[in-house]
Amino acid sequence: MEEMESGATAAAEPGQSLQLEAEAERPGSAPLQHKLLRLPLSRIKGLMKADPDVSLASQEAVFAIGKATELFVEVIAKDAYTSALQGKRKTIQRKDVDNAVDATDEFAFLEGTLD
Amino acid sequence: MVRSVCPSVSQCPRTRPGAWQSPANTPTAQGTGSPIPALRLPHCQRVKKMAERPEDLNLPNAVITRIIKEALPDGVNVSKEARSAISRAASVFVLYATSCANNFAMKSKRKTLSASDVLAAMEEMEFDRFITPLKDALEAYKREQKGKKEASEQKKKDKKPESEEHDKNKEDENEDDTEGVKMVDDDQKETENEEEEVEN
Repeated sequence: MEEMESGATAAAEPGQSLQLEAEAERPGSAPLQHKLLRLPLSRIKGLMKADPDVSLASQEAVFAIGKATELFVEVIAKDAYTSALQGKRKTIQRKDVDNAVDATDEFAFLEGTLD
Repeated sequence: MVRSVCPSVSQCPRTRPGAWQSPANTPTAQGTGSPIPALRLPHCQRVKKMAERPEDLNLPNAVITRIIKEALPDGVNVSKEARSAISRAASVFVLYATSCANNFAMKSKRKTLSASDVLAAMEEMEFDRFITPLKDALEAYKREQKGKKEASEQKKKDKKPESEEHDKNKEDENEDDTEGVKMVDDDQKETENEEEEVEN
């Protein structure tokens, strides 16, 4: 896994920048917003190792878990937003998150874990 | 009632009271159909236990906040409590998805979690909507990793011939780079192609 360097890249080679771009390289310009993964792989891996049954994970597996987690955050944020809208609010509150969890079968695994 | 055999996730009696059916009667729309080897506790209870640990099971707040903001229209605010709950949910998701993916690896008698185990876990967890974007991201990631590997090999060639044998690339990996899920805190110094067993 590559080092998480703070974006100071001398040359815009694919190997140097961690700011992964889905399209072609744009040397010199600011990195695009569509990074492949915003969550740090190291933290994802750290969470995965909390499971005593997990000993090894391929880099791709860690990436996949990380990416799935980002997708999950997007979905739950949007669902919470829907709840806020129903409450005629523009600020998403904790209860909106709870509503989102209650409203979706796939989120049942979260029950009892958020407190 | 605590079951010693963890049924497949979609039939977990804890999350779907009354949904437990014997495998013979199970609709095979998703998941595997065959029972997963017995775990010490039901699947979800193990995850809940892990989620209660005090160690740093959190994901970076700034990143979570950014992901949330980018998913929502401009001008929408998110309270601190809501952000915190979403962050916690994300951590639980990692634990749960990992556990589920690991079941698939174990069923195939593999010790290393693979990306396909994660994809299978998504289907099992009924997050089918994630599968296509995940596959696309994986493709891009593999391309990017390949590019990095080639660039680093090029750098090695450019070094003087006396270059260290024990550079980053200790292992001889092919498509699937493996990283040990190690018990070290110094996770900034992770390098690719390392594979270590963890004693737990």
